[in-house]
Amino acid sequence: MTTSAPIAPYTSSLSGFVRARPLAVNIDQLTKRFPVRRGLRELLRGAGRHETTVVDQVSFDVAVGEVFGVLGPNGAGKSTIFRMLSTMVAPDAGTATVCGHDIWLEPSRVRTTLAAVSSDERSLNWRLSARENLLLFAALHKVPPKETEALVTSMLRTVGLDGTGNKMVAAFSSGMRQRLLIARALLARPKVLLLDEPTRALDPISAQEFRQFLRTELVDRQRCTILLATHNADEALGFCDRVVVLNRGRVLATGTATELKARFSEERYRIWTTDPDHGCFAQLETLGMLRRLMNHAQGIDGWFVVDCAIPGDPSRTASVLQHLFTCGVSVARLERVEPSLADLIAGIIGASARENANA
Amino acid sequence: MREIAALVRASWLTETSYRVSMLLSLASLVFMIVPLYFVAKALQPLMAQPIATESTQYFAFALVGATVYTFIAACTSALPTALASSIGKGTFEAFLGTPTNLGLLFVGMSGYSIVWALVRAAVMVTAGVALGAHLVWSALPAVALILLLLVLAYGAVGLVGAALLLRFRTTGPLLNGVLAGSALLGGVYYPTHVIPSWLQDLSKALPLSYGLRAARQVVLLGEPLGVAGHDVIMLALYVTALLPIGILCVAVSLRYARRSGTLGHY
Repeated sequence: MTTSAPIAPYTSSLSGFVRARPLAVNIDQLTKRFPVRRGLRELLRGAGRHETTVVDQVSFDVAVGEVFGVLGPNGAGKSTIFRMLSTMVAPDAGTATVCGHDIWLEPSRVRTTLAAVSSDERSLNWRLSARENLLLFAALHKVPPKETEALVTSMLRTVGLDGTGNKMVAAFSSGMRQRLLIARALLARPKVLLLDEPTRALDPISAQEFRQFLRTELVDRQRCTILLATHNADEALGFCDRVVVLNRGRVLATGTATELKARFSEERYRIWTTDPDHGCFAQLETLGMLRRLMNHAQGIDGWFVVDCAIPGDPSRTASVLQHLFTCGVSVARLERVEPSLADLIAGIIGASARENANA
Repeated sequence: MREIAALVRASWLTETSYRVSMLLSLASLVFMIVPLYFVAKALQPLMAQPIATESTQYFAFALVGATVYTFIAACTSALPTALASSIGKGTFEAFLGTPTNLGLLFVGMSGYSIVWALVRAAVMVTAGVALGAHLVWSALPAVALILLLLVLAYGAVGLVGAALLLRFRTTGPLLNGVLAGSALLGGVYYPTHVIPSWLQDLSKALPLSYGLRAARQVVLLGEPLGVAGHDVIMLALYVTALLPIGILCVAVSLRYARRSGTLGHY
């Protein structure tokens, strides 16, 4: 899927968001290395310390009011970047500012403007009710006592937990706990919200509702800037204004979803047919109109699935379909499939390699 | 202060959700005091002479020793225990993500254990008085001052324990060693001058030795605080020396945890 060779990061030219608005987050050459744990044998041998670079000279800007996706597979460095922004981890090199405050020089100011929501539900007190959890954090966030009750009630209502606020968190579902984590972060009235894989524990319907809530309530109404770390390409490309793609701690590309998709991923389609081995498919491949990715061996009621890439604009897809009909191939359905993260990363690396070769 | 109160309240609500455990914790004190009463009664003729400079009644002598030691032991381990639990639950990072400073967080996190230890101490003293221990009630403010100095001195040991926990995820033998040493050589059940002379030097290195002697002189013999002045000054010196060391250790460990990214590890 990936290669370890360093590639030059692609940066979108369509950065209207950043140009038009003030910056909420600025990250410049941020680097973090962690020591590799030595085994007993290495310790006894007196082997020296090794370090692994988990965030490698990462740079990007996020504008005020932007929903910015940090997309990457496991181990890409997304969570470490978030932990550095929330001042929990100290960077080894580079700088980062949140609303103009340096994360290393002014950590307490950063913590007043930024709130991080991890997907770790353990960070809630499970023996307390949702309301009691929020009351505790309202005090820690220094919400004035007179405003606390009203704010907590309002936050519970905002995340749809007003009917279950007095229930012990241990009895909550994962989705409810996730919403409570959001409510807890919102108590601080943050200007920047860090969401680390917030929909990991949610079913697709709840995840969609949650994204809708983020857009309407937090971004549109409260003018909050959101950084969302995810390994779900659909979520990042479908929901975020701009996306940075990370792999092994490095920035591969930054840009809008439309731009990244258009530049780095082919249009993927799924064709339902009774004859997946028909010669017409090979003919189309020879003509360069279609590239078969996978034939699913198992058919359903005699219909088989062919996953393929059809390069070019959507009119090419209509030509492919017409060609299949002309050849007498039975096609029940042709549907567009969203590119996966793996496809996108492979596309970016492939494009970079081609550009290097051309250069 | 509001932050401390909120953290103590949250701990209280958590603990009261385990009601049986809480009741058993109080009931266990009875099993501690009643045997102490009978043992002290039996040993009174033997101990009257050695404890003469601190008390006339061996049961009251042992009651003060056991109560203060139980209280101090709880205070010493309060922060490391609360920190270990908070790291394990994942709440510590969430706390650190708020604008509340670390000092207030530590006091709030350990506050409930200290308050609960105080309640247990009050129950022990009440039970002891009911069984015939004689205390000078007017000396309570002086005792409170001595206890405060003891809490600060042993709290500094707790801070070092918290630093070890942040760095190594264990306090190692530090807390158990200090508490066991204090129980054996700090004059909890016998005055420090009856232990072998070579051990008395070790006993002089323990803040509890000074604290217990001073507390007994004022609350059991009714002496003014000035009589125990030397012991109180020694305690204050311990606090002055140990607290900065504890704070420095925590600062160094926290810096290491932030550098190595281990703050949230458990």
